[in-house]
Amino acid sequence: MSVQDLTNAIVSGLQAGGEQFLEGTMAGALPIIWLFILALHLARPYMLQLVNKFTLRLGADLLWLVYIAIREVALIIGVAASFMFFFPDVVVTDALPLTGGLAASCVFAVLVIKLVSDPDNNPRLFDLTSVLLAAGAALYFIPYILGVQANAIGLTGTWNAISQFLVTNTNPIWAAGMTYGSIGIVSVLGAVAAYYSTRIAAHPVSETEA
Amino acid sequence: MNPIAIGAAPLSPNDINTAITNALIQGGQGWLVMTIVAFLPIIWTITLMFHFGRPYMIRMLRKCSLRFGADVWWMSYVLIRDGVMVVLFCMSIIFFMPNLVDSMPFPITAPISAVFLLWALLVKLVRSVDDEPQMYQLASVFLILGATLYYIPQVFAVEATSQVHLAALANTLQSSADVTWANGIMFTSLALLVLTGGFIFTYVLGTINRAAISGKRRRHGLPAELRRPVEAQP
Repeated sequence: MSVQDLTNAIVSGLQAGGEQFLEGTMAGALPIIWLFILALHLARPYMLQLVNKFTLRLGADLLWLVYIAIREVALIIGVAASFMFFFPDVVVTDALPLTGGLAASCVFAVLVIKLVSDPDNNPRLFDLTSVLLAAGAALYFIPYILGVQANAIGLTGTWNAISQFLVTNTNPIWAAGMTYGSIGIVSVLGAVAAYYSTRIAAHPVSETEA
Repeated sequence: MNPIAIGAAPLSPNDINTAITNALIQGGQGWLVMTIVAFLPIIWTITLMFHFGRPYMIRMLRKCSLRFGADVWWMSYVLIRDGVMVVLFCMSIIFFMPNLVDSMPFPITAPISAVFLLWALLVKLVRSVDDEPQMYQLASVFLILGATLYYIPQVFAVEATSQVHLAALANTLQSSADVTWANGIMFTSLALLVLTGGFIFTYVLGTINRAAISGKRRRHGLPAELRRPVEAQP
């Protein structure tokens, strides 16, 4: 083995290890982000209660704006951190939750709903976004806990089969299918958002009516 | 210290030191560049979200009962939205480095996407995207084209080498797999980038000179449709 061979081996190890470490860390951080998203979404009544206690409009406005900003930024971070679920190589190589891409699609759907309508003023839409967030969280947490985080506890038989089914790198065909399906859903939703936003820009008056 | 033998050839501590140093430099650089490449779709997505999130932001703005809150909200939105675009453009500069383009698997159309992004920024610079619907739509078209030219080769080629049915795309849409095309696209995009940059430079200088002569300043702030007292929160 020459110095160059050793260099190449270390380079490959650093790059592959670094990439998988980064993706694994993001997959590990996503449950925290999901909890954060759910907590902020479900904290709406508490925030309204606080807003009503303010004696100055300025304080009430700022609290509400800060709450809205953090809540929506958490949703954006949720989609952004889930982007690895749209890369076929990553889902086939790394141990990720099988339905992580669908979970990301749910968050993206919530963002699109918030764009085209106002769930804060429409209880039915608020319910819809809540259901989508709950579905997304379930689609992430169930395969993450029962699959990714349960492959070293000595499961056997059916439980072991279920656990392996829920992890992308032990179920690559389903994982690739989920990835393509999620890409399709997000693409359609993105097209709807782009169309809506440009239509509103061309006809701003209709926005007040919406 | 005795030389360390790996296989048939012995390596001295100095050799291993050299190998690890080289590996850290090359490996670190490669990892950093490929991490940027893999992160750019995320930043493209955030860019699109903020750009197309404008109706939502305006709806929130109308709920503010005080001008102060509305101004803070709108300025924060505009700063973040445009800041993310600038950061994205700065990070895209790696696609104009010939050595990296030839040696690493970049999306082959990434330089064009950077040009489209710059054109979207240009539209924002020379016209008021928030006040002119046609300009907003033009910037939207540039952003959609740029994002599409990044997403498709990144998802279906660079990150899909394990997918046998996508092998043809992987061999066509990765820069290191088709160096001739990659260099052609990169240098053409570089020329467009330089031309656009030159136009921006002369435009900014001209604007400053005109402003100095006339003493007028362009007014920035809320979109025209919102430059009126904000109504009470419903």
